[in-house]
Amino acid sequence: MTEAKNVVVDRVKNAFPDQILDVSENLGETAISVKRDKIVDILRFLKEDNELKFDMFIDLCGVDYLEMGGFERFAVVYQLYSMEYNRRIRIKAFVPEGDEKIDSVVSLWAGANWAEREVFDMFGITFTNHPDLRRILCPDNFEGHPLKKDFPLEGIGYRENFLKVTRENAQ
Amino acid sequence: MAVESKLGENILTTTIDKFVNWSRKNSLWPMPFGTACCAIELMATLGPKYDMARFGAEAIRFSPRQSDLMIVAGRVSIKMMPILQKIYRQMSEPKWVISMGACASSGGVFNTYSTIQGIDNFIPVDVYVPGCPPRPETLIDAVLKIQKKIEKERSLSQKRA
Repeated sequence: MTEAKNVVVDRVKNAFPDQILDVSENLGETAISVKRDKIVDILRFLKEDNELKFDMFIDLCGVDYLEMGGFERFAVVYQLYSMEYNRRIRIKAFVPEGDEKIDSVVSLWAGANWAEREVFDMFGITFTNHPDLRRILCPDNFEGHPLKKDFPLEGIGYRENFLKVTRENAQ
Repeated sequence: MAVESKLGENILTTTIDKFVNWSRKNSLWPMPFGTACCAIELMATLGPKYDMARFGAEAIRFSPRQSDLMIVAGRVSIKMMPILQKIYRQMSEPKWVISMGACASSGGVFNTYSTIQGIDNFIPVDVYVPGCPPRPETLIDAVLKIQKKIEKERSLSQKRA
């Protein structure tokens, strides 16, 4: 396991020496923290390199590191799996507050489409070059991004502002 | 009872209100608005062990046009509320609403931005059923309470309060 991990980390480090922020391992799972600028190139390298072949996109999610000491406030975390070598890798791409943008990876894995829409909906991170970036869970007229840590739990009036249907106006 | 003595033993006389209410209360057609685990208990209530058919309310209709008792079973999100209201307005009069379980009645444990804190804020509710989820007996009790309520209504002479 450790040997395999070194292969992956070494190859990524060699290919993108200036993009790596940190490499960590927890419970036998390797995570590489990277800058967001070349995320599509990094993931394409992981997917297409002959000794890596992380060809299966497992999932993608957002993280709000507010007061938790990340490299930036937000991160988009990619979980990949190599069917050829039976390896898994986690890539964390950090996105700064105030400029919440990262490139879309739908061109690599079509399955990232709805996952990126969910991160956009919940965290307000914009995925450039995404084919159809709309809200996916919240209503279309919703304002704000509810999984941000500074979003009030009880909302700001969404659950109160509805037409009141009574017996008189129900017809 | 002078009229009955003239008509013979096979004829009963009553008021039209009582007759209409009697037929309405014994053939309630529920519209299941099941969004969570309460809907599972609702299904159990309809099954052979509890058998809501004993009270004439087994004809579940998934079309609001054909039903007169809406059972809101489960939590309602802000995205679902306009749909719930639309379905309620599509049901033809007379109609009744049971708010089944803690979530539909008060939001339950889901005190969050996305969950309606009690559907009675936005649509009229006749009977609330406590429980998380309520037992089938509790739901049957609610149907019986609706029946009692229907009994007292003045169907033709007065609009519903």
